[in-house]
Amino acid sequence: MGSVKRLEETTQIVSNIKAAENLYFIDVHSPQIAQALRPGQFIHMQIPGMPDKILRRPFSVYKTDAEAGTLCVLYQVVGAGTEHLSTLNAGERCSLIGPIGNAWAPPAGARCLLVGGGVGAAPLFMLAQELAQAAHGVHVVLGAQTKDALVALADYEALPHTTLSAATDDGSFGYAGFCTQPAQDAIDSGEYDYVAVCGPEPLIKIVSGLAQDAGLPCEVSLERRMACGIGACLSCVVDTVEGKKRCCVDGPIFKASEVVW
Amino acid sequence: MAGVEMSVNLGGLQMKNPVTVASGTFAAGREYNDFFDIAQLGAITTKGVSLHGWEGNASPRMAETASGMLNSIGLQNPGVATLREKDLAWLESKDVPVVVNVSGHSFQEYVDVIEALESDTRVSAYEINISCPNVDAGGMTIGTDPTSVEEVVALCRKASKRPLIVKLSPNVTDICEIARAAESAGADALSLINTLLGMAINAKTSKPELARVVGGLSGPAVKPVALRMVWQVYQAVSVPLLGMGGISNGTDAIEFILAGATAVAVGTANFVNPCAALDVVHGIEAYCEEQGVADVNELRGALLC
Repeated sequence: MGSVKRLEETTQIVSNIKAAENLYFIDVHSPQIAQALRPGQFIHMQIPGMPDKILRRPFSVYKTDAEAGTLCVLYQVVGAGTEHLSTLNAGERCSLIGPIGNAWAPPAGARCLLVGGGVGAAPLFMLAQELAQAAHGVHVVLGAQTKDALVALADYEALPHTTLSAATDDGSFGYAGFCTQPAQDAIDSGEYDYVAVCGPEPLIKIVSGLAQDAGLPCEVSLERRMACGIGACLSCVVDTVEGKKRCCVDGPIFKASEVVW
Repeated sequence: MAGVEMSVNLGGLQMKNPVTVASGTFAAGREYNDFFDIAQLGAITTKGVSLHGWEGNASPRMAETASGMLNSIGLQNPGVATLREKDLAWLESKDVPVVVNVSGHSFQEYVDVIEALESDTRVSAYEINISCPNVDAGGMTIGTDPTSVEEVVALCRKASKRPLIVKLSPNVTDICEIARAAESAGADALSLINTLLGMAINAKTSKPELARVVGGLSGPAVKPVALRMVWQVYQAVSVPLLGMGGISNGTDAIEFILAGATAVAVGTANFVNPCAALDVVHGIEAYCEEQGVADVNELRGALLC
């Protein structure tokens, strides 16, 4: 998607809300990027107030509101950057680069199965929104450690024509165990033509393996450490059957069949 | 902004302002052209290129550290033919001099790359990379030994009539000795510093943060080291210097010029702010206006000490 121009936009935080332990929704006013962003693309955020941590952080976008000019990121606190991000207040300004990367590309008319583990639920939501417009709808499998951590569940539940399956590690909601099981059940049902998966890499590996065993096209959204985020520095490469590709601009969505695990 | 003379001559490379980019941080400029017209820079320095393509190192290749970062990309590049077909073809539409960063696993490979480019009029100068810390052969293994430096620079000198900028490694006991070796072998200019060899460890996992274990440190963290080396080398040689290492804004650039640099390169800052190199151009100009400096060349080596 190199032909699409990327923007740098100085944005204002609209809200930054804790949704569960270590999980937050941040809304930023970023009208140009929100307008242009397609499902699966991401932003590269400069988190203000961290003078000794100079690099931007890549975040997938959960949803956009073109009318309000906002975009929403679901993030998990995993390190110093996200820890600091969780302390920022509405009104603070930050610079975003976006939209970056390619978008999910299910075959036209495909019956789609979406599998999101943990915050992997986020980059699938805009795809689900699009697919839910079709009469045959979409099947979404979400997994998390606990019911409380299924913070995107309500938004997915509100979509039309959407079948939802959930799994929690502790059995507090839905299937007790990893979401690979409901994903396998759905794939085995033979009702789907395409699988999209995002989440921890072991989950991606397992689900994409199941999809490939069933002969289904599968796309995965990958994460790598990034520096520039725009395709120049070659920090974030992914090993593929065609050699090393840049996660940021050749991805973050890859065909499962091209990834060398 | 009219009035300040910004043009400089870096060993025969005429630049309309003293700002280029550090090789490897800017690809060939196309990615950054989304954010500003890259022809506004004094020169574009392309990512290191070898004769045939190199795969580079395993991942992870990057780790953030205090006020900087480590990288161990390993000069991944598609080879000089692809550089010509794609990058130089694109750069041709831009009115900006192109410095090609030349890499090799052997002395002969540096010469081969230059020979593949010498008749290509889209190239203005070469930067000879004898300082990359992320490859097992070539790179820093050459640039830390004065005899090897003399030998490879002399070979490149024979192969080219173009300005030859030799990029020095800071991972040496005496950078002035290396600088003199490069100068005596025919370098027209020296660029410094490449990254400092470093490493980062994850205590939780007891593993290194980089797959290659060690990598090159860059960013604001290295600026004091880079300034010191530019200042020392400025006194040791008479060829002009391209200073780099942690430059993020106009003030940083001015400090390098005061230490003796004729021109400067912006590297890691491009990752933070995609317009950083252009901001540095404007920052230098604004400083000159404020200080009543008519020509940026007056500031070179003007450190008061």
